[in-house]
Amino acid sequence: MKKPLLGEFETPSSNKYRVGPLQSIHMPMRRFREYEDVDYVIVGVGSAGGVLLQRLARAGFNVVGLEAGPFWDTEHDWVSDEAGSHELYWTEPRVTGGTDPLALGANNCGKGVGGGSVHWAAFTPRLHPSDFEIYTRDSVGADWPITYDEIRPYYEQLELEMPVSGPAYYPWGHPHGYAYGPHPMGGVGNALIKGCSALNIPVSIGGPVAILSGSHGDRPHCIYRGFCIQGCKVGAKASTLVTHVPDAIRTGAEIRDRSMVSRIELGKDGRVTGVHYFDNEGHSHFQRAKAVIVSGYAIETPRLLLNSACPGHEKGLGNSSGTIGRYLMAQAGNVVLGRFEQPVRMYKAPPAHALTEEFYETNPKNDFARGFAIQTVGPLPVAFGKQVLAAKKAWGWGLRREMMDYNHWAAFGLLGEILPWKDNAVTLSEDKDCFGLPIAHVTFNLHENDKKLIKAAREKTEEVMQAAGATEVVQEARYAHLVGACRMGSDPRTSVVDKFGRSHDIPNLFVCDGSLFPTQGSANPGLTIQALAARTADYLVSQGERIFTSNERDMTTTPIRRELAPPETWGKGVPRLK
Amino acid sequence: MANELSLTPPVLDMKMVANYVREGRFQRSLALLTAATSVISGLEVAYEHYRGSYSRRVMYTPVILSGLLAIAGVAAFFSRRAARTVLRLVSVVTLIDALAGFYFHVRGIHRKPGGWRLPMTNMIMGPPIFAPLLFGTSAYLGLIASYLQREESSGMPSTSGRDIWFARLLPPSAGRELLSAEQDMREGRFQRQVAIVTGISALLSGFEAYYSHYKNNFRYAMQWSPVVIAPVLAGVAFSSIKSRRLATTALPAVSAIAGADAAIGFYYHVRGVLRRPGGRKRLLYNVMYGPPIFAPLLFGAAGMLGVLASLLRRRRV
Repeated sequence: MKKPLLGEFETPSSNKYRVGPLQSIHMPMRRFREYEDVDYVIVGVGSAGGVLLQRLARAGFNVVGLEAGPFWDTEHDWVSDEAGSHELYWTEPRVTGGTDPLALGANNCGKGVGGGSVHWAAFTPRLHPSDFEIYTRDSVGADWPITYDEIRPYYEQLELEMPVSGPAYYPWGHPHGYAYGPHPMGGVGNALIKGCSALNIPVSIGGPVAILSGSHGDRPHCIYRGFCIQGCKVGAKASTLVTHVPDAIRTGAEIRDRSMVSRIELGKDGRVTGVHYFDNEGHSHFQRAKAVIVSGYAIETPRLLLNSACPGHEKGLGNSSGTIGRYLMAQAGNVVLGRFEQPVRMYKAPPAHALTEEFYETNPKNDFARGFAIQTVGPLPVAFGKQVLAAKKAWGWGLRREMMDYNHWAAFGLLGEILPWKDNAVTLSEDKDCFGLPIAHVTFNLHENDKKLIKAAREKTEEVMQAAGATEVVQEARYAHLVGACRMGSDPRTSVVDKFGRSHDIPNLFVCDGSLFPTQGSANPGLTIQALAARTADYLVSQGERIFTSNERDMTTTPIRRELAPPETWGKGVPRLK
Repeated sequence: MANELSLTPPVLDMKMVANYVREGRFQRSLALLTAATSVISGLEVAYEHYRGSYSRRVMYTPVILSGLLAIAGVAAFFSRRAARTVLRLVSVVTLIDALAGFYFHVRGIHRKPGGWRLPMTNMIMGPPIFAPLLFGTSAYLGLIASYLQREESSGMPSTSGRDIWFARLLPPSAGRELLSAEQDMREGRFQRQVAIVTGISALLSGFEAYYSHYKNNFRYAMQWSPVVIAPVLAGVAFSSIKSRRLATTALPAVSAIAGADAAIGFYYHVRGVLRRPGGRKRLLYNVMYGPPIFAPLLFGAAGMLGVLASLLRRRRV
């Protein structure tokens, strides 16, 4: 057969996963035996798990990542369709309750390699220095066991690895600039700029968002097709599936997909010895490991630890403080919708592309502590339909008429800090899932400060929408992100893990994901989760074999190991403020 | 005397300038012009590559080189020696960089999904294919300038600063031809060469204007003007290789039209930038993502080359 001009199109092959139109992971990957005592088992290969896996593999450890969901071949498994993307979410049974129950699933939990980073909108603001000490400053919430300066090199590093697009000067928090240039605006971004400019509110244009504005090795740049949170088939949006997992596989890590971890095994010496998991066919296995890292995010991490209760740890593994599952936080994520005379076409851009953090910090003039951010949101028609249903109680023909008007609407999201409260918790329910494991029961209540903050944030967002020229403004109350529930701290009586994510009770058990957060700020947590993962990895690498053999706890902070970054990180990026 | 000079009517001034150009005695002015165009194309490439996030280190080279070329141009204005050494060297390096850039842009389009099998899509969505060559325009001006005589020189054109070492590397006949061509440039006898460059530049910038305006669906009728004028200018420029008459009549006329069109385009692009949400308050961002503010001037450069060609003499036969 004659070859087509300039070579053939790539044909699918069984020994590689395509994770983008140009990018693929070549198989076979290394396989460990179950009786082999691997160095680390990582439970959950998501935002944090992906980074940990890559770092530890590159440092030469034997690592296995167990992931409940599938290893995506994005060209084959993903569709650019709202309704067709439900497989990206964690939709196993869960019970939600409390006075303000959270909607769980699509918005805050992922399943599959890459985890939630596969369907996040990829907003990546840093936390502010004040976020690490809100108890000291405002007498609310809790202080972090680390300061901004300790995590800052990891922010800078991960912003290069994703990489993050945004302005060269970002004025809020600790001022800094971004590695990749800002994105052009869609209709919603233009509305936010217009509204903010009219009210003299500074606004950050074109980021910070972990979507490529220029190409990056074998990842093409964004083409503004709008399907960010349905899984970016272009490969422009950063997920650990495209940023860290390829390098992890290359350097000898193993990912066992469709493997649901059911229990962590504790040995007689008070150290964990491995994990039990179910494979795709429901067969039970046990993987031996010298240390275990749980990266299952804010619901599955506490659920696994609670489910692993055993003699000596009756309240749950490593739960002597009784705080596993406690201090769960979501962020207020009300969506404010505005109708414009001119078409907005909010599908024509990434949902995340402009924001203002002008109201982020505690303002003494307010009657509440802490603050909020205003961001662009670009719901696609189905999500929009749900929002007008909630916001305008539209139904039947009325809903249909509203939905036909989709092109004229713009949506802003507020992102308000909700403080950590002990009664907001993940506990075990009576009900069981398909493996016979008790499912999570999530309780969520708003408190006085939270309600006042949400009210003020909503009013300000509506004001901006009106200033942008909207003729009709409505809003829907909802929540975004889930963090906390296995918080870190220096006091073993009030926290689950220490500042490196190591359990206070069990020296070779680690937690590393969003559940570590003592407080959450009004910043999207994705960047901080990955920064914490890289930091934990550096600590583990510096400790070396001592983690596996000794119960001693070395709390010295080590300098960042930039050499562990994926090699394609270097040699790219715009001039910027550090 | 001084009074009399300042009272010379503009027509005489223009004649004087034309005479300088005719005789190849405009090194200082062309060096300054090189510096000016270099600053503009440097700014253009700086923000265009910013849009590409400088995702390869090589993307910094045109930005740095255009800065160096601007400095070399100013140095050449003051020093004849600088004109013949630094300016020539930097110009050559910049021209090589322009060719390298062209290669990288072609490859960039090739690397996009579908590559050259989807040429129109990927040329529109990928790196601007001819932009690096247009970036070479100022380097070309610098290279010419390095061979010219200075305005104040009189009498027989000097022969110093010849590339004798380079001519020696070539076969004897080609070496002689090179030195003779250099001598003709020194005397302002290189009309055909500039006419060819004018034609190429018009074609390339016309094509850039075509697909950039295509991205905007030719929303304004005025967006067709460079697309229409460019082939006419190219046609006239290429015909001027044969016809001396066209070179002195049609070529300056069409070139002037192209120049005027570039000025109008520049106005519209500036207006387009200021009209964007945030306008003046978000100037940097709006320059980056608004209509490319200096791009019409690159089209104007083709017109400028055409005028230059029309003022020059042809080579001795």
